[in-house]
Amino acid sequence: MNQSNENDKLMDHDYDGIQELDNPLPGWWLMTFYLSIIFAIGYVMFYYVFGGPNSDQELAASMEKIELRRAAVAVTGGDEKDESVLVALTSDSTKIEAGQKEFLVKCMACHGNQGQGLIGPNLTDEYWIHGDGSITNIIAMVNTGVPEKGMPPWKDLIQPDMIENVALYIYSIKGTNPPGAKPPQGNKIE
Amino acid sequence: MSMENNQSRTVYDDDIVKKFIYAALIWGAAAFAVGLLAATQLAYWQANFNLEWLTFSRIRPLHTNAAIFAFGGNAIFAGIYHSSQRLLKTRLYSDSLSSIHFWGWQLIILAALITLPLGFSQSKEYAELEWPIDIAITVIWVIFAINFFGTIAVRRVKHLYVALWFYIATILTVAVLHVVNSIEIPVSYLQSYPVYAGVQDALVQWWYGHNAVAFFLTTPFLGLMYYYIPKAANRPIYSYRLSIVHFWSLVFIYIWAGPHHLLNSALPDWAQTLGMVFSIMLWAPSWGGMINGLLTLRGAWHKVRTDPIIKFLAVAVTFYGMSTFEGPLLSIKSVNSLAHYTDWIIGHVHGGTLGWNGFLTFGMIYYLVPKLWNTKLYSQRLANNHFWIGFFGILIYYISMWASGITQGLMWQSIDANGQLAYPDFVETVIKIVPLYYARAIGGSLFLIGFILMLINMWKTISLAPKGQDEQQVDMSNITMDEVAGTGHRKLESLGAVFTVLVFIAILVGSIIEIVPTLAIHKYLPDANKVRPYTPLEQAGRDIYVKEGCYTCHSQMIRKLDFDVIRYGEASKLEESMYDRPFQWGSKRTGPDLARVGGKYPDMWHYRHMIDPREITPKSIMPAYPWLDNKKLDYQILRRKLSVMKRLGVPYDDETVANADIIAEKESLELFNALLEQDPSLENIKDTQIIALISYLQSLGKK
Repeated sequence: MNQSNENDKLMDHDYDGIQELDNPLPGWWLMTFYLSIIFAIGYVMFYYVFGGPNSDQELAASMEKIELRRAAVAVTGGDEKDESVLVALTSDSTKIEAGQKEFLVKCMACHGNQGQGLIGPNLTDEYWIHGDGSITNIIAMVNTGVPEKGMPPWKDLIQPDMIENVALYIYSIKGTNPPGAKPPQGNKIE
Repeated sequence: MSMENNQSRTVYDDDIVKKFIYAALIWGAAAFAVGLLAATQLAYWQANFNLEWLTFSRIRPLHTNAAIFAFGGNAIFAGIYHSSQRLLKTRLYSDSLSSIHFWGWQLIILAALITLPLGFSQSKEYAELEWPIDIAITVIWVIFAINFFGTIAVRRVKHLYVALWFYIATILTVAVLHVVNSIEIPVSYLQSYPVYAGVQDALVQWWYGHNAVAFFLTTPFLGLMYYYIPKAANRPIYSYRLSIVHFWSLVFIYIWAGPHHLLNSALPDWAQTLGMVFSIMLWAPSWGGMINGLLTLRGAWHKVRTDPIIKFLAVAVTFYGMSTFEGPLLSIKSVNSLAHYTDWIIGHVHGGTLGWNGFLTFGMIYYLVPKLWNTKLYSQRLANNHFWIGFFGILIYYISMWASGITQGLMWQSIDANGQLAYPDFVETVIKIVPLYYARAIGGSLFLIGFILMLINMWKTISLAPKGQDEQQVDMSNITMDEVAGTGHRKLESLGAVFTVLVFIAILVGSIIEIVPTLAIHKYLPDANKVRPYTPLEQAGRDIYVKEGCYTCHSQMIRKLDFDVIRYGEASKLEESMYDRPFQWGSKRTGPDLARVGGKYPDMWHYRHMIDPREITPKSIMPAYPWLDNKKLDYQILRRKLSVMKRLGVPYDDETVANADIIAEKESLELFNALLEQDPSLENIKDTQIIALISYLQSLGKK
């Protein structure tokens, strides 16, 4: 803008030496404003006049999709192994080590760093409160937890393979009698 | 005859301006340092030195309050008092009121500095200060208002300049916000319960919280911009018409946008919708201010290279534009579902505060100090260095928080082909972003280092200034009240009182439409849905949760979003927080949501987790709270607490209120005995606060 042009636009007032120009509102700015207002009206119309879904319906719809995915997995999955197959796997040291690593992250807080028991029961003795201490049973316990006693279900938090590894590790420490072991709880399983 | 003398000459009160500048500089250093300490603790939790008073959850409110009200507040007062006298061509209305305003405000800050680290907090964000301080704030703000409007009343200039419009909106709206949000009933000298509960409290609080940003960090700074940019650049304001349109649209629309802090929550859909669409409509009015600021610099752009003042001001306005574009973007429900509760919001806020408020204040002070002390700036080079160091600090801060927020947000929502969370373990998503917390702390350090250069520069400038100068008399003999009032808006500008009333109406419309319907919302809940109130011990534990500031890192609001529901359980419902005073929905998930944590873990788990979180979760960044198991719980006060709750409408029977202490003691003993049975070494934790806290945590989602 050249100087004479600008002088034409100067308004005839000043405040403490500050002058103001009489420039129009920038067109693109005005357009942005109008568009945002149109959007706002359209958005409200969609949800409150033309029957757009409310938040509960939206949540229900997306949960339904997820349930479908889960159901598909439940059908195709189901490769539960026999106890004998699982026992054979305890010779696989990589699986045991992976299980121990996960145990130290997720289970240690309640069962101690060597399974000796802390908030939760000792996992190294022959006594079991829930079930018989078989690998199948340990897997089931880890999956469902014991919510009433404060053990959370781990099914959604640990991948199935890893739960198997953890169960193999727990099975493998039976009889290790670590220092500070918690006294036996539950039934003795021969 | 003396009257005539008074009218032909005046002396501006610059002493009060100088005082507020000193205060802004001193409290600014404190606010930035505390912010850096808080940021460092998120990267390295040990940086609380194992002291409760320095722990993140206690000092986060200290940082926000100090930055907004101590640094920002004193800067605003300095600028408003300096520019208003010159725009109105008169000395401030009353020297005594100025002085009470100044010292009163500093005492309030001092009170905050003492009470917040001690844990006296209402937990309402940017309104944490307890009731006696709330009253003091109201009194001092009214004194400020009388002083300001008094100055307008005795003005020598008929028409009010645009900067003053923004000051009027600020003073009026902050008063309304503060008073309405702070209606609370005391239970002791430093504790109170808000009259609002659950969703009402959430809505009122975020109406306040959002508009604290609007009317404490936006409108006053826009006013300052309208004075100091044309002054420093010596250029006319780009468009008078734009000033009018963006002022009124900004003031009218801003007040509606609060509910965008509660998107996808249990807040009724209609309120969320209003919050979202008004936030989007707010984009253009906000940019109106940026455009007017930047285009005023047209013809002065060469000064950006040489003049550090113009550098600071121009970049401040640019950051304002960036934040006010990002704000509407984040208010879109789907974007918000990704960004909410993450560090993206922290980055967004700091783009505004560090970039816009910080840099505008720095520019203003670099402009003012040499003028007020009648000298030259000690070092242009130091000021330029401050600019560049601070600027890179903000960039590092902003970028690291963007990266952190988006990374964590994506990890939270990621669901695999089997319909399971891809990152079910919350701590995994934390470990990922810890390096970015270090980066952010570096960004914050740079900002602070730049500010220290400014302090040195100011100290040198002031100490080298010529001493013993008389205050300058300003000749007013050629200033006469313009009798031509004009028409339309021009006329309105000459009618101070009418203008003020119109602003008041503009901010009231949105406030009333959004808040009033929710005030009765709990009455319309079906009886079957209503939950039981907290037991005395749970309520006691809840107050500890509030006192320790757990809300600074944990939400209690499972949103209506699939990934929230899968991770935390059924979406939170309105009635679940209907007795929550204050509400604890939270605004940030540095740790997981706790709305349904009750019963998920054993009591012993909570005990050990509070004493040392890493014993339970090895990589946790949560601070330890070891003081909770040696501080005794005050049972006595529970009778008073429950009777206040009853007065507020919580259905306790008289017997429960009268025996609250005995009931709580019994509850506590039961929980203690169960813990002791598992670990005989815990005999000393009988009657301690941690037992109440565990009892509260176990009640969450179980009512």
